[in-house]
Amino acid sequence: MNFEDMQKAWQSHNASAKVLIDADALLKEVRHNQRHFRAMIFWRDAREVGLCVVVGLLFLHWAIRDHAWFLYLLILACAGVGSFMVVDRLIQRRKQPVANESLKTCIEVSLLQVNHQIWLLKNVVWWYLLPFAPGLAIATGVSVWRSRHVALVVAGGCVYLVLVVLLYWGVYWLNQYAVRRTLAPRQQELETLLASLE
Amino acid sequence: MTAQEQEAIFRRWLDAHLGLMLKVVRACAAGQQDQDDLFQDVLLQIWLSIPAFRGEAKETTWIYRVAFNTALAWRRGERRRREGHEIFLKSDVSPQVQASHVEALAEREIVEKLYAAIRQLPKVDASLALMHLDGLSYEEMAEVLGISENYIGVKLNRIRQQLADQLKGETDEL
Repeated sequence: MNFEDMQKAWQSHNASAKVLIDADALLKEVRHNQRHFRAMIFWRDAREVGLCVVVGLLFLHWAIRDHAWFLYLLILACAGVGSFMVVDRLIQRRKQPVANESLKTCIEVSLLQVNHQIWLLKNVVWWYLLPFAPGLAIATGVSVWRSRHVALVVAGGCVYLVLVVLLYWGVYWLNQYAVRRTLAPRQQELETLLASLE
Repeated sequence: MTAQEQEAIFRRWLDAHLGLMLKVVRACAAGQQDQDDLFQDVLLQIWLSIPAFRGEAKETTWIYRVAFNTALAWRRGERRRREGHEIFLKSDVSPQVQASHVEALAEREIVEKLYAAIRQLPKVDASLALMHLDGLSYEEMAEVLGISENYIGVKLNRIRQQLADQLKGETDEL
């Protein structure tokens, strides 16, 4: 069988012949999906930024209540990280792939986005973990300094420090795991696709 | 664009180009559930793309672009949203469709084997194969994919050969 025969069979076959479509139900479903899609994007952004706001407000409450000036460093870190997330999201939103672009453009834009995500996660130490480090270190130091039971607080401080280090390591590891597991394969897939178009 | 206009275009495209959308879905996903999921994604993206449609591109070119780009981003088993939702697709069990003669059945079998062969191709090649089988011009294919017509010609020669090779053994049995 040559290609022309295949083409003839293909074109004489009507893909929609065996499908009945309920247009009203379909429209309802598409609108539902659109709402779901928008809600998903909104809540993803709100969750990330909201967490910074809530934690920042908590620190503010404690700072005012206990006159703990060093907590303002943590509030500043929350504000910085939250602002970075908002600005980054706004910039990236402008670079969203548009489904009606050509396949090549769509792949290029998707690849840029994946590369940016990988950059963010690989550098999570600098923009997410490090801004909190001075505040946490000073908070621990001041607590130890203010206490009269030095031995007890030093022990508590050590445990606290270990927990902070473990938390930092956990956050970092999770982010690198996400890069290896999800983003790097996607990056490779997109690069392969792009290479096949060039 | 008002919501009514968007809805009117969507309904018209559905009437005119449902076959095209289904072909892309069947060529890019195997299995009923995956095809249903991808089909929903394609419909959603087509719906979202309508306000940007200015009539500069042909409707078929536009729909191919949206469908291929969606299929490219879609991943198997990523979403299962259908539970509890309206069922809008039904198999047509009308007697006219069932009463097919032998030639039509053989043709249908070739088409099914073509779908299977296309799914084996790399994604970009699969898109090209699909458009070529549908009879799109090199210019239209270049517009959908964003690559030069010369390159399309080179790729299609290879794809034609690959499809013929894959179907050779199969169609000999028919």
